[in-house]
Amino acid sequence: MIGLDYVANAVVSGILIGSVYSLVGMGLALIWGIMDVINFAQGDYMMIGAFVTYWAFTLAGVDPLLSVPLSFLATFALGVLTQRVVIERVLDAPMVSQITATFAVLLMIRYGAEAAFGPYTKRIYVPYADVIYRFGTVSLQLPRLIAFSVSLGVAVAFYVFLKTTYTGVALRAVSQNRMAAYLMGINVRKMYWIAFGIGVGISAVGGTLVATFLPIHPEMGGFYALIAFIVVVFGGFGSVFGAYISGIIIGVTESVSALFISPSLKDVVAFLLFIAIILVKPTGLFGTEQR
Amino acid sequence: MLQFMKEGLSGRNGQYFAVVAAVMLVAPLIFWKLDLPFAANAMLLCLMFSIMAMAWNLLEGYTGQLSFGHAVFFGVGAYTTMILMLYYGVTPWVGIFVGGLVAALVGLALGVPLFRLRSHWFALATIAVGEIFKLIFISWDYVGGSAGLQSPIVPEEQKLYYLQYAGSYVYIYLALGLLGLELLVLYPLVNSRIGYYLQAIREDEDAAMSLGINPFKYKMVAMFFSALFTGIGGGIYTVRFRFVDPFAVFDLISVSVYITIAGILGGIYSFIGPIVGSFVFVPISEYVRVYIVSRFPRFYGLHVFVLGVILLAISLLAPEGIMGWLEKRGYLRKGRETGEVRKE
Repeated sequence: MIGLDYVANAVVSGILIGSVYSLVGMGLALIWGIMDVINFAQGDYMMIGAFVTYWAFTLAGVDPLLSVPLSFLATFALGVLTQRVVIERVLDAPMVSQITATFAVLLMIRYGAEAAFGPYTKRIYVPYADVIYRFGTVSLQLPRLIAFSVSLGVAVAFYVFLKTTYTGVALRAVSQNRMAAYLMGINVRKMYWIAFGIGVGISAVGGTLVATFLPIHPEMGGFYALIAFIVVVFGGFGSVFGAYISGIIIGVTESVSALFISPSLKDVVAFLLFIAIILVKPTGLFGTEQR
Repeated sequence: MLQFMKEGLSGRNGQYFAVVAAVMLVAPLIFWKLDLPFAANAMLLCLMFSIMAMAWNLLEGYTGQLSFGHAVFFGVGAYTTMILMLYYGVTPWVGIFVGGLVAALVGLALGVPLFRLRSHWFALATIAVGEIFKLIFISWDYVGGSAGLQSPIVPEEQKLYYLQYAGSYVYIYLALGLLGLELLVLYPLVNSRIGYYLQAIREDEDAAMSLGINPFKYKMVAMFFSALFTGIGGGIYTVRFRFVDPFAVFDLISVSVYITIAGILGGIYSFIGPIVGSFVFVPISEYVRVYIVSRFPRFYGLHVFVLGVILLAISLLAPEGIMGWLEKRGYLRKGRETGEVRKE
């Protein structure tokens, strides 16, 4: 029998890692919702965020928490560049061209990083890495707790940005009706740059957060990209709020199922869940929009 | 069937085909005499990816179902051939075909849920299926888990039975034979009633349905042959490399995406496009991998980066692929052999 304290621990660690899945998923949901393009390279922008943090820490001693804005801005710039050079040209192309173009970006970023940084696993040892808080039988590592708090903060800030600022409202307008938004004087092209930049930038924040407690590697993005698809599908197409909640649900599902089956099979549960959801309810748990 | 072969191989096409076939048959002998293992290996990989990309294209180019999960069929074919050889002493001459059949059955089983999905949902689900297979094989002890399986070492007199030869030279003929078999099966298929139904499904599934075509049934036919020949490609991998492990054979990038690159690069609306694509990208990738990455291990991954650049260039500049590009500029006569319907 598995004790209740194990389950409680699994739930808590699932929530903490799930909040990182949420960030990657939110970025994907934003891009998917606004441009109707699936960014297969989402996880690799996250990896860029992790490496920005790694180099800032190793070369200049910048604390990972301070490099959150740094990795966001660097990846934002890379995202705008990708949008200008690649995505813009395939927006109206057939689905195959869109998918292969973002896959090409994936190959270039992931393996370009591997060729540049070397195919080795790297780690950051932050001074507070070994601080552990205990609440009864539940123990919490400080870096994971920080990751959760920052992720929650970013999600709230992003939500406020979408609801209250002019750019946020314009982004939502573009996602609802591109032509109408254009006629109302919104610079749609610029909105696409911003959307792609923010979408991959949020993902990079997730990369910065995991870099404080997990090993980083140029090929790490593949796993998170798959998780991000699950998060988006689960949370409902284009729903940023849904993505946040479902990221946490996926994290908990994974870490609890690791208790009952072999840990290497815990991701199988998430992928099966993914296929089951798109078969049964492709609009997701929180989605209403019919596509 | 023979009627189609006659039409396809008459006149100019027949001459081209004869020349290419003759070059392919003589090339391994030249490589062997001059001792060019790199060239022989690259040619074998070209043929292996040709077989699989053509099979993949039956689903994408003809039926409009973009699959990123062909590593599943490749891996199942590779593992079946290996298990039959290692545990039951079955010759790969039989094992490769059994592997193909098992892969085809897996394809049919997967088709039941997957074909309820359309466009990018199908593509996403096939990626997830590929990862599921990889993870299951990693934790499945019967197939060696994450360590994988290795071919038995056999005495000299059993070389033919176990198909164990040094280098790639002999395997090129095996791959050529299997590619020939695939052409004999798929060419009549895509030029038959079924082939036209598949293209109708690709162009507009609902319209096809309203004409009385059952999309599910014909997608399953396409899936069967697609998985069959991809599994056979896996069998060739097993006999040549004598080692299968889940990380190599179920890999999203180095199997599924490579197959996709071959198809897209050659031209998905062309029957022989995937072969052309394979013969263009594999030598480039292999050259960078063997001559740059092996010498400077520091740049590991560079060959895949180069493929990314190629894939990006083709998606932005010529999404119709090499064959479509040649056709558009009038270097190729539009006809049976280069695909029929344009997707505009």
